[in-house]
Order: sequence, then C-alpha cells, then structure tokens
Amino acid sequence: MHGRRIGSVRSRRTLVAILLIAATVIAASFAGAASGRSSAKTISVAVVANGQMQDIARLTPSLFTKKSGIKVKYTILDEGKLRQVTTRDVGSGGKAFDAVMIGPYEAPQFGTAGLLKDLAPLAKADKTYNYNDLIPAVRNALSAKGHMYAAPFYGESSFLMYRKDILAKNGVKMPLHPTWQQVAAAARKIKTSSMAGICLRGKPGWGDLGAAFTTVLNTFGGTWWSAKPNGQPDKAQVDQPAFKTALDFYASLVQDAGEKDAANSSYNECLTQYQASKVAMWYDATVAAGFLEASDSPVKGKNGFAFAPVNKTKSSGWLWTWALAIPKSSKNPSDAWKYIAWATGPQYLKAAGSRVKGGWAAIPPGTRFSTYRIPQYKKAAKAFAGITLAAMKAAPITNPGTTKRPGLPGVQYVGIPQFQDVGNRCTQLFSAVIAGSMKSSAAISQCQQIASQAIK
Amino acid sequence: MTDSEQRRGGKLGVGERRSVVAGLGVLAWIVGLLWIFPVAWTVLTSFKTEEDASAQTFHQGLGFGRYSDISHATAGTLSLQTAFMNSLVVVVVSTLFVLALAIPAAYALAIRPIHKWRDVLFFFISTKFLPIVASIFPIYVYAQKWNLLGTRSVLVILYIAINLPLAVWMMRSFFMEVPRELIEAAEIDGTNLFNQLRSVILPIVAPGIAATALLCVIFAWNEYFYALQLNFANGSTMPQWVITNVSTRGNFLAKLSAASVIACLPVVLAGWAAQKRMIRGLSMGALK
Amino acid sequence: MNATAADVALPKGKAGDPFSSAWRRRLPLLPALLYLVAITQLPFVVSIYYSFTNLKDKTQSLIPEPTKFVGIDNYRQIFSDSFFRQAVWTSVKMTVLAVLLSLIIGTLFAILLDRKFLGQGVIRTLLITPFLLMPVVAALIWKQQMFSSLFGVLNKVLGFLGFNSIAFISDHPTGSIVTVLVWQWTPFMMLIILAGLQSQPSDVLEAANVDGASALGIFRQLTLPHLRRYLELGALLGSIYIVQAFDAIDVMTGGGPGSTNVPYYVYQESIGGGFRYGAASAYAIVVVIFAIIIATFALRVLSSLFRDEERA
Repeated sequence: MHGRRIGSVRSRRTLVAILLIAATVIAASFAGAASGRSSAKTISVAVVANGQMQDIARLTPSLFTKKSGIKVKYTILDEGKLRQVTTRDVGSGGKAFDAVMIGPYEAPQFGTAGLLKDLAPLAKADKTYNYNDLIPAVRNALSAKGHMYAAPFYGESSFLMYRKDILAKNGVKMPLHPTWQQVAAAARKIKTSSMAGICLRGKPGWGDLGAAFTTVLNTFGGTWWSAKPNGQPDKAQVDQPAFKTALDFYASLVQDAGEKDAANSSYNECLTQYQASKVAMWYDATVAAGFLEASDSPVKGKNGFAFAPVNKTKSSGWLWTWALAIPKSSKNPSDAWKYIAWATGPQYLKAAGSRVKGGWAAIPPGTRFSTYRIPQYKKAAKAFAGITLAAMKAAPITNPGTTKRPGLPGVQYVGIPQFQDVGNRCTQLFSAVIAGSMKSSAAISQCQQIASQAIK
Repeated sequence: MTDSEQRRGGKLGVGERRSVVAGLGVLAWIVGLLWIFPVAWTVLTSFKTEEDASAQTFHQGLGFGRYSDISHATAGTLSLQTAFMNSLVVVVVSTLFVLALAIPAAYALAIRPIHKWRDVLFFFISTKFLPIVASIFPIYVYAQKWNLLGTRSVLVILYIAINLPLAVWMMRSFFMEVPRELIEAAEIDGTNLFNQLRSVILPIVAPGIAATALLCVIFAWNEYFYALQLNFANGSTMPQWVITNVSTRGNFLAKLSAASVIACLPVVLAGWAAQKRMIRGLSMGALK
Repeated sequence: MNATAADVALPKGKAGDPFSSAWRRRLPLLPALLYLVAITQLPFVVSIYYSFTNLKDKTQSLIPEPTKFVGIDNYRQIFSDSFFRQAVWTSVKMTVLAVLLSLIIGTLFAILLDRKFLGQGVIRTLLITPFLLMPVVAALIWKQQMFSSLFGVLNKVLGFLGFNSIAFISDHPTGSIVTVLVWQWTPFMMLIILAGLQSQPSDVLEAANVDGASALGIFRQLTLPHLRRYLELGALLGSIYIVQAFDAIDVMTGGGPGSTNVPYYVYQESIGGGFRYGAASAYAIVVVIFAIIIATFALRVLSSLFRDEERA
C-alpha cells in the first residue's frame, strides 16, 4: 500500500503512454474505415458469382483500370445474396454501389419505379459502344417504354445439352425439337449407377429451380397467376391440375433419373457434374455450352444440343441476361458508365477471347451480333452458337404458355415484384418434393396460400 | 499444487482403480478424436488438390498449393489481407471498448453496488434475448443515412453492443471475488475509484478479464450476420471472405478448406492458449 | 469464509442530490447502460413505429407508394400466418433439442475428462475446437465435407458399408442444423460442467467413497445436485445464443422446408427477400415481446443462481 506513492508517477506515465497509443490505433483504424465508399476514381460494382463475371473481375485491372484510371471494387455474391443486397440497396436509395448486376426481371421494374438511370441516351451517343449491335430481344428485355435501364453483359436462353457418345451408345436419338416425354424416356433409359440420366435444377430460389421449373410449367399448360383484363395478377393458379402435373413430372424425373443431391443443385453444381461425366444430359442455360466446349473442358467435342423440350407449346426456352445498371443514387454515374461501356462493349469481347481460362468459347455470349462474327469465336463455338441465337430468338417472352398471365414479357418468371418472394418460398417447398421429403399436394397447397396472400 | 487442482483431475478420481482410469482414458481419446474428425478432415483436405478433394482420394499428394491460391486475390475483389485487417481492427477495437465499459459497470454492480443492481443485470442479459434480425432494418436505414455502410465503424459499434451484456455479467462475478477487507481498506485510505481499480481490484480479476476478453474476441471474430448485411467490398470481414471461396466454377472444396483453416486459426490458437483461463474464468466467475 | 463485496450494505443516499452516494455509485454504470440502451432499444423503438406503417422497399411497387399508417393491420395478419406458427414451432424444436443434447453430451464428456490420464490436456484442447470455429465455417464443413452426397465423408463410409447414400440436408434439414449446433456447443457445455465438477470438494467425495457408496450413487446424490447450478447456467447461456441461430440455416438450408426458425423467418420477411419492412417490423415486435416473456422466465432461473451465491 505504501508502494503506491512511489510508483504512482511512473505508472501514471505508463498509463498515459498506453492511452495515447490506443488512441492513435483507434484513430488510424477509423480513418481507414472509409473503405468501400467511392471516391473520384473508384467505383463499387456488385456482380453475380458466375464464371464470366469472375473472368472480367480478373481482367479489369489490366484492361480497364490501366487505360481509364478508374479502380473497380467488386462485390461478388451468389445469385440469391446478390439480389437481396442490390434490391435493398437500390430500393432504399443507397449509395453503396455505382453499378449493380440485374436481369430482365428487375430492370423494367426498378426502371419504371424510377430507381435506375436511363442508359439509352448514353449508349446511343457512344459510337464505339454500337448501340444497334445489341441483340434486340435482349435489349428490349432490359427496357421499358424505350428507356434501356441496364446494359447486357451476357444473354442466354435455355436448351438441352447431352452427351452424343452416351446417347449413341444406348441407341437413343435426340431430335432437334424434342418433347419432354421424349427427354424423360431417354433419361430413364440411359441412366446408370455412376451416371445420372439428366441434370435438372433442384436448388430453391426463383432464379434456380424456379427458372427451370417455370419453363416446364408453362409448356405443360400451367401458370403461377391468372391475369385480369388490365394485366394485373388475378388469382393464384398453383392449385390447378396443370401445375400439379408439371410439378409431379419434374420431381419424378429428377428422382428417377436425375443427379445426386438434386435439392442442392443449380447451374454451377450441374455444370461441375456434367463436366465430371456424372450426368449424361442437362437442361439449363445456353451459356453453359461455352464452358462445356471450352478449351480446358473434359467433355469438349462430345456434346449435342437441342432446343428446350416442349409439351403443349411450340417453344419453351427462357430468356435471361445479366446486365449492369446504374442506380440513380450512385455518386459516380459518369465513371460507372465508362465502366459499363467497357464491360458490355464489343472491345472487351474481342480482348477476352485470348485471355480467359476457357478460351474463345467461354467469352460472354448472347448480347451482340458482332460476337458471332468474330472468326475465332465462330470456330470455337461452332457447335452451339447457331442454336443459341435461334433459341434466344424463339424464346416466347410475350406468350410463354397456353393461358393469359400477368407479368409479361418474361418466360421463366412473372414480372411482378411479389414473384421474387413467392418464387423463393414456393421453390423451397418444391425442392423438398424433389428431395422426396414432402408430398407434392402438400407443397402445392402451401404454395397456393403464399401466392394468394402475396397479391392481396 | 493449489487446492483446486488437488481436488479433481490432479490425481485419480475418487474411488477409481488404475485400470478403470486407463480404460476411460482410452475412451476419452476415441471420443475426442471422433468429435474433432470433421475439423481434422477439413485441414487434411486443405492440403489436397481439387480433384482429390472432391473424390476424397489422395492420388496427387499433399501440399500448400491451395493456401497460395487463396492468398492471391484479383485486385478489386476482396483479398485475404484486407479481410484479415478488417476483422483484426474491428475485433480489437470493439473488445477494448467492451472492457472499458464493462469494468466500471461491474464495479457499480459488485464492489459498491447500486440499489437496483439485480434489475440492471437482468436488463443487460435481456438485451441478448432480442433477436438481432428484429432490429436489422432500422439499423440498416440509419447506417445508410450516416454513411456507415461498408465501414468498419458500424461493425465496431454493433459488436460492442453484442458483447457488452456477457462481459458485464462475467466481470461482475469476478469482481464479487475481491475480498471485502481489501476494498474497505482502500476506502479507508481514501483512494478514488480509479486507483482502487488499478492497485487492488484489477490484479485480482486479471484472469477474469482475460477470459472475458477471449469470449468477446471469439464472438466478434466469428460474427456473420451484421457483417453480411452492412458490409461489402473492401469493408468485409473474415467470415465474408470465407464465403467468397465457395466458388462457382468447378471444384472448390480444397480451397474452401484452406480458407476455413486460415479464417479460424487465430481464434482457435487463442482459445487453445487460454483454455485454462477460460475454465477458471467460467468456474470462478459465473458461479462460485 | 471471506466476506466479499456482496455483503456490503446498500446505501441510503438522498435521491436527486447529484453528489449523493447513490448517484456516485451509479456513475460507473452509466456509460455501459446508456450505450446498450442506445444501440439495442432505439432500433426497437423505430421498429415499433415502422410496424404501424406499410413501409416497403421501393422496388416492390412500380408506382411509388407513399408510406402510410395502417394501424394494427400488420399485427392482425400475424395471427393468421401459419408459416409464422411453423417458424415458432421450429424455433422451439431446434432450441430445445440443441440445448438438451449439447448439455447431456457435454456433461458426459466432462465426466470423462475429469480425471488425469495421458494426454488429458490434448484431448480437452481438441474438444473445445468446434466451439471456437466460425459458425459459417462449421456449417460449411458439415454441409460440404460431411453431409454432401457428392463429396461427403459420411456417404462415402455408408457406401463402403454397402448402404445407399443419404441426402442428409435435403431429407433432414432441421436435424442437420441441430447436429451442427450440438457439435459446436457441446464443448461450451463441457467446459462449464467441467468447472462444476472440479469445484467439488474432494474430501466429501472421498468420505462417501470410504463409506462404501458406489460411483453411480456418489454421482447421483452428491455430484448432480452440486452441478445443478452449472447445468442451469449452461442451459441459459446456450439457449440465449442457440435461439438466435442464423448462420447455419442460411448456409445449409436457406430456410428449406421446416428449418426456418423465427429469426430466419423475420429476416426473410424483411431484408431477406420479402422487403415488407412494415410487416416485418410487426413480426419483430411480436418476437421481442415473446423474447421478453421468455427472458423473464429464464431470469428467474438466474435469480435462483444469485440466491445460491448469496447464501454461499
């Protein structure tokens, strides 16, 4: 106790020293805490975690930042998380991102609600951007009332990919325009214990299982909602017979001849499995063909392609594009446009071919006519380029099914704001049906409830 | 050996024969190894190549390749170094603040308790029952208003609130251990609160502070929800960085395993080093 | 026994006098208290305000909808929401199962570890590791390394033994999540119980042993009552954290059938995809009210712990 006096001066000094150091550290850390916000020459971009996006993220420093001096900070998220983040940010007028990646589901809606910048004037004014080179179907899908709200990065439809060798071995012929019954029969015939007949998406999410299933639903004569004369959603149609038929067909096909762990499989998982020769057929996005025929693909050259299988309609392939938009609240719209013009312009496509991992076959497809005139691309993508373009053109975006429905144009989604949540929650249930842990009738009645409540 | 060590664990359990102890020891080993198997397997996978990892084989041998893969990120995407720095700063700063707030609070609840100390303590604990998802939207709105999104500050602010109740509770229990005579003696001497803390109380509760700090560090380092909702790009923390290694192209299991190992290593090492403190803290602190 | 701080007499300062003893006692508490009130209660108050409106994300309506008051509409809707009831039931199931299982297994481990054997320290160190991992990492490990039908170790072992592979996560979503929670929290319980076991005075136990009591008898009559407070503490702390489980659900099942607990459901209603902020705030308030009720109940347990403390 008496030592207190003697040591008090020294210990007080130590204490002051410690406090000073702590204060400096704290101040320095908070000063550095302003990371992630845009300054004059840095923009923040949110993209989805697909192969082409990761390619461009890798090439941005050398191909874009060097020339323009604009640094790009990427936030790469999987589809579900990306949508949450971008929808919330754009919808609340946030300044977190200068460019966000959205699709034809969001673009017209967000744009009409006044949340996105109109890119058409910027695009048209930029000669090198070549606005008229954009494929009209894709461009229009991202526009509303003549305003283009997002610039397409890649475009796709859906079709059937299959192993020519496996089908030939089993004596199965796949027509160019197959029906779902033909495809199902083929899948059940060619499946073995080590190789599933077909890979179909089963992962919950309106953009995952929802996309593939909705195209099946459409061509089986079903729909999510009926439409009022003015185009607004009228009644939920989940409890209709066509819906159950489609769901039962899809689920039983996956259970009988589909991939392992289907309830966790979406585009990426099926791609991995197909390349590992664990599945013989795959119904999914046309953009996958680029990876299947890439220079480093183990199944290169073995693939055949057919249009999306149909039942009661003439065509059923979807139309989707991942596109870059500028939220109105962005603080650097001009830098953001410079970036978007580069990322979705023809020069990047030409430069990417020799630089990306999969070679020319793996560059972002489906946005411009000029892509399909590049000689190296024509050669590398010979097997699928033609059918890709034809599929995109044939996508029945104004009349995807057999009945009137709201939320048009759109094939694999319903273009109303409520669909995102309804689709996500219902596909949770459908995924359980596929996994065999829920009866389709139970899933349907719950989904009908969700769909009805959502439009009240 | 101190009395507590002599009580249990320091010699044979009461009434147990040597053979029983040996047998139970073997059982403990088996149980321990089985329980830790998922972690061990992940560490092993982190040294494999991707092909081996997805096929669960060993054909291509082991090496550090995946670790170097994930340490190099493309400029503009979240790198390990950035995420690590973010996590470090957020954890250290928030823990320091938590201790700075909790120690005086514990003093007011234990040494010279206020009248309503029970109610206050209950209030602190009850805030842990509020689900954080319930308040995320208002927090998001105001974080956006005040330009805190994507910064480390917003996480520091929230992590302090997350850890404060537990810290106050634990610190109070440690303070209760301080012998009354010492405090009374200090009071008679006329020492103020600060010096009382410094010379009398802190030396006694130092192990308790360490245990509390460790728990705060664990919970802050591992926190995912707030980080995911409020941070992005270059403000992201380690949990977010791990998720970015769930790649979409091809196999990623080995890289993900390596990322998991790196992300968890600091806290695991700290926990290992301080586990005796944690046990002592939990036993001494929360209950007598 | 030493008198400790708990024995100090409470003051009778004059209320209102800023220099009275009572206020001087309160002062050190104020920073922590005010901080917590500001950060945890203010958003709560804002939520109350939102819950009476129809606030939605701006992307949810094509024509900008002005936010208006809707009274208690949001609350009325909760009572007819069968999915919310499902989520509540799932929360109860998950929490009770996870806490009970980790407590039981943790106690068994603690008993096992409560003796000196070769490598005791090593095993204890290994056993606490799952608790130190990030919950997202733990969930990913189980999802990709253990449960996966494609790469999973468990299914590979099943294959060796001649069984079909089980799609753990798809078929048993809640069970998978409970597994991960138990795996992570058992070490925590083990530490608490171990502390309890090691705080037992060995002379009493030796006396009982000398008297001829069996090991089981000693455990039941002497150890278990002594452990009661530690078990309660473990259950309380574990419940607090496990009822809020979010990371595992997000990573493993995304809320898949029957595995959505209340926090995840509220999240889905608000920023997780529903973007119905007004309605979600009403859910949040209801959940908070329940939480307060449960907290009051749980804190009665706490107070019995305090009472024991004071008695000792």
